[in-house]
Formats: sequence, C-alpha cells, structure tokens
Amino acid sequence: MYRIRFHGRGGQGIKTASRILGTALFIEGFEVQDAPRYGAERRGAPIFAYVRADTHPIHERGVIHRPDLVVVADETLLAISPAQVLEGVTDSCVVLIYSAKPEAWWRQQLPDIAQIVVLVPLESLSVAIPVGALCAGAAAALLGKVSAEALAHAVEEELSAHDAAMVESNRKAILAAYMEVTPWRGLVCSSLPLGVAQTPPPVWVNVPHDAVDIGAPVIHAGATSGLVKTGLWRTRRPVIDRERCRRCLQCCAWCPEGGILAGADGWPVIDYEHCKGCLVCAAQCPFQAIGVIPETQAEGGADAQTADRK
Amino acid sequence: MTPEHSGKAEESPRQRLLSAGTPMCAGCGGLQALHQIYDQVGEKTVFVNAAGCMTLLSIYPYTPFRGSWLYTAMACAPAGAQGVRDALDVLLSKGHIDAGQDQLPVVLTGDGSAYGMGLSATSAAIDRGLDFLYICYDNEGYGNTGHQYSAATPAGARTATSRVDGYTGVKKDLFAIWSAHRPAYVATVIGTEPADLARKVKKALSLRGPRLLLVLAPCPTGWGFEPSRMVEIGKLAVESGIWPLKEYSDGQVRHTRVPAKRAPLEAYLGLQGRFRHMFVPRRNEEQLAALQRQVDDYWEHID
Ligand SMILES: Cc1ncc(C[n+]2csc(CCOP(=O)(O)OP(=O)(O)O)c2C)c(N)n1
Ligand code: SF4
Ligand code: SF4
Ligand code: SF4
Ligand SMILES: [Mg+2]
Repeated sequence: MYRIRFHGRGGQGIKTASRILGTALFIEGFEVQDAPRYGAERRGAPIFAYVRADTHPIHERGVIHRPDLVVVADETLLAISPAQVLEGVTDSCVVLIYSAKPEAWWRQQLPDIAQIVVLVPLESLSVAIPVGALCAGAAAALLGKVSAEALAHAVEEELSAHDAAMVESNRKAILAAYMEVTPWRGLVCSSLPLGVAQTPPPVWVNVPHDAVDIGAPVIHAGATSGLVKTGLWRTRRPVIDRERCRRCLQCCAWCPEGGILAGADGWPVIDYEHCKGCLVCAAQCPFQAIGVIPETQAEGGADAQTADRK
Repeated sequence: MTPEHSGKAEESPRQRLLSAGTPMCAGCGGLQALHQIYDQVGEKTVFVNAAGCMTLLSIYPYTPFRGSWLYTAMACAPAGAQGVRDALDVLLSKGHIDAGQDQLPVVLTGDGSAYGMGLSATSAAIDRGLDFLYICYDNEGYGNTGHQYSAATPAGARTATSRVDGYTGVKKDLFAIWSAHRPAYVATVIGTEPADLARKVKKALSLRGPRLLLVLAPCPTGWGFEPSRMVEIGKLAVESGIWPLKEYSDGQVRHTRVPAKRAPLEAYLGLQGRFRHMFVPRRNEEQLAALQRQVDDYWEHID
C-alpha cells in the first residue's frame, strides 16, 4: 500500500492535489482513498490531505500516521511544530519539499530525514498554478505507478468545472512538475498494510463523570481566543515603514482581525502573533507605508512564528 | 489570565473589544464588520449564533467574545434569542439581576439561516415583537460547508452547487421581507463603509424591538478573490450600486448613500472568480447587460 500525506495551507489547492493523485491512481487500477482533513481552520491555516492506494481492498481508515511519501507544499510549515508535517516519517519515507532552496540546504536543516526530494518552483509557468497541483504531479512521478496519460486524465476530471484554458494551463504545469522529478521516478516504496497487531491501540483517557455545569463545554472566561496564535498562518508579512506612515490609522479599521493596534504614541502596531497575512492593510494604506516581505525573510521578533521556530 | 490582562496588551490601549485569534479565513469581510459592530454593542450581550462560519468563532476553550455566546441549529437562532430574553425577564422580575445587569440578545447568522432555513423562526420572532438585534453576515452562500448556493446568492454566481453557468435564481430581498413585518429597524451595511455602519448600529441600539443589520460580507474563499482585495471589492459593491445602503424605520425606507455616478457593475464582477465564466473564454454580453440592467432598474426608482 502507498500512503501519501500532502501538507499545505488553506487556499493552496491541497485538497484538489489529493483528489488529482487519487483519481490518477484509480485510473491506473488501484483501490484508492483520498480525503482532506477538515478542521475549523481556513484559508492560510495549516491543513493536510491524504491518499491511500493499494492493489487490494483497503481496510485502514482515518489519518495516515505512517506515510510512505510526505509532500510539503509550503516549506514554512516545517518550522511550525503544531502542523506535524514530519509525523511518522521513517527512513523508508520520502519527503518532497516544494522550495527554491537546494536539496543540500534541506539536508542540513533536516539531518534526520533520510530521503529528501526538492521540487523547485517552475520558472517556465506563465500563469499562477496552485502549488498543490504541482505537488500532485511530482508525487505521481515519485510513486512510479502513474503514467503521464493517467495523470492528464485525472486533471481533466477533477477540474472539469473550470474553463478549458484553465484546465489546459493546469494540465501543462502538472505534467511539467511530473517530468521535473523524473530522476527520482519510483523512489517511493509501498509498504505492507498494517494489521490489527501492528496498529497501536488508541490512548484512552478516562475522564471521571462530572456534573453538567463543569462537564459541558462551557467557557467561563471572556476573550480567550487571544491565546490562539493565528500568526502561524502567515506566509507573507506586512511591515509598516515609519518613514512613510502618517498615523492616519485607517489600517486599524480595515484589518479583518483587529490585528493592528493604535499605540499610545499614535503609531499603528501590527500584532504579529495574530496577523494572518491577508495584506488588506498593505493594499489599503493611502500612503503605501506598508510593505510586504516573505515570512521566511522576516527578522526574528517576539511573534508566534519565530517563537515557534526556536 | 485573559489576554487583556497580560502585560503585553496593556501597552496597546486601543485594542478591539472582540479578541483576535479566531479561525475565520484571512481577509474575511464578515469578521471585519463584526469587529466594528461588537465595539459598539459591547459585552452586555448574549450572542445566539446559528451554524455557519461564525459558529467557529467560539470553539472550546477559546472565544473572542467578552460577553455571552450560545450556539443553535441553523433554523432556530431567533427562537434561541426568545428563550434568552424570557430567561432574563424572569431573572429581572424575581430580582436576581437588576436592570443594570440586563443583556441584549443578539442573533448572529449567515445568509443560509437568515434568508432560508431560519426565516420562519425570524418571522415569528418579529410577530411577537421580540426585543433583539439580528446580525446577518451575508457572504451569499453556504460558506462553512464549501460555498453551496443559498437564497442570497446573486444571479450568475458560481457556487459549489452551480459550478458551470452559475446560479440560475435571483438574490432574495431580505430587506423587503423584514420591512414588510414593520419591525423597529432594518438596515443594510458593509464593513468597508465604517461611518455608515457605525451610525446605523448606534441607531439600532437606540431602539427596542426586532432590529436587523444586514451586512454584505465579501468572502475571499467563496467568491474567489485574493484576500488583500477584500476592502476594494466591498467598496465596489457599494459604488456599483449592487449593494444599496439603506435603512427602514417608522414605515419609511431611506437610502443612506446614493452613488452620484455608479461604477460599472463589471468592475465589481470582474474581480471575482465566481463571475469569471462571464468574461472568459468569451464575454457573455447578454448576461452582463442583463445584470447591469437590474442594477440600473433598481436605482431608477430611487431619488
Ligand atoms: C439543518 C442544518 N442543515 C445543514 C447544516 C450544515 N451546515 C452547517 S453550516 C452550513 C452553512 C450555513 O450557511 P450560512 O448560514 O450562509 O453561513 P456561512 O457558512 O456562509 O457563514 C450548513 C449548510 C446544519 N448545520 N443544519
Ligand atoms: S494606513 Fe498607512 S499611513 Fe495610515 S496609519 Fe496605517 S500604515 Fe500608517
Ligand atoms: S495582513 Fe494586515 S490587515 Fe491582514 S491580518 Fe495582518 S495586519 Fe491585519
Ligand atoms: S468562508 Fe468566507 S465568510 Fe467564511 S470565514 Fe472564510 S471568508 Fe469568512
Ligand atoms: Mg453564508
């Protein structure tokens, strides 16, 4: 059985990636499961989707804990421990990373990972293609069991609601990603289905029976969501340039998160622990005083992302 | 320790009343409006929230609200508000709380509830003259379940259940349905017109009885646009005239902002993936003209 887990962020086409790969494997005659992991998180938040494929009926269910291939569509997730990107990765598992950084750099960063393949962003693409789709193409090649024809069919099937030009541009891009990792074709090995004996039993926590006023999910304190660091969702960071800022505070009103506070001195202050990186502020600032940098280039500050990397 | 009591936040005097850290999408227009409304309605409120994107605001043990919040099924938030009002009245009459501790029941639902599943319960609550505020954040579809169409979906918009040629129905006129009940107050608002919104929230809070704030909520995920363009799209909804800003009270409807020169509707539609099929592979002139005509017809009768 092949077990593939795709990690990315809401909005990167991760669910579609798992569907494309699942459908391609199905066309090749495999039994397939593919499913996104639904949570309360939304666009920008870490999410994952997974695919199982086997030549026999699949009896495993639920989230994949022992992957044969982990696909990382967004490299910033590797620094975020709650995203659990590397959960269950063993020496026989391949980790595919979509990144402009070379493989050698990643080997240094992740010395415990035995097999790393890097899919470099394809410069030749003229239109923006969701990263997830490219990863689906590369993953198909790494499995070595999906022909280019089956992959192309799967793309057409999964994107059938879109116009022809869009399907065509995606098909081309996905096949280009498929070709890009040809040297590693078939690198991913299938592993045996886990029987009951090899499956660890769930860890049960016995909670004593409480009276309903304490046992029910009642929140007694107000405004506790501030403890949730949605700054981890951000891939691009808005940065206020004090040379240009005129302290009009319009950005405070436009921020959907309430993530820009008015400091005592009248300067706007971005709350990086919670800013999700929607960039509404940068688009709306009347004085173009808010620049945008990739999160990977952000200097360490006391915010959720850098704190988590440490 | 709640965040406002942590040392850090004290350095930032002007924090919004509704806390950050919610699971709404980056660039959510509904959340942007809710921040402004919550700043005004405040914490002496009991929010009654029907299933939808915003029920995820409070997920145990996290909530952005400083006051109370309660979850109900999609069809019955106004009935929930009635129960809350009745319970508060019992507490008041028995002297368990005094008038200063009274709270305002606030229904918060998406358009799926407000225009559809919850309409019967809403109508009944207005008939009973329930003293409550209803906030509908209208993202024009069933956002939480993957943006299927609702009775608030505009003609021609693609949704998960109108994937090819777009929605074949028309957007239901909830403002007219509410007004026909002769409630205390009905207003359309949008978070990208903060002054208009603030004035209407203030007005609503000065009245008693059933009151509706109908908020257009630009939704990057369901409408297909880059989150950074949320405010631009909200402003175009008003400037193109497709989202008229108006209010009803004392039997009268008033438009609170009549665009002197309306932006072409195309400018609004063209920025959104859900209308892309009207522009590529070729322009659907007939459909675009029909939609523009509907907007023009609406404003023809407005002074
Ligand atoms: C009676 C009922 N039917 C279906 C659902 C599943 N459901 C949960 S949220 C939702 C969408 C609600 O749409 P809307 O009210 O517009 O809110 P939004 O998700 O757009 O915020 C649906 C259909 C439900 N909870 N209850
Ligand atoms: S909108 Fe721009 S100029 Fe105004 S306070 Fe914000 S950053 Fe400064
Ligand atoms: S990018 Fe700007 S507008 Fe968006 S959440 Fe961050 S601070 Fe707020
Ligand atoms: S789907 Fe739309 S309405 Fe729902 S949280 Fe996301 S942006 Fe907001
Ligand atoms: Mg909705």
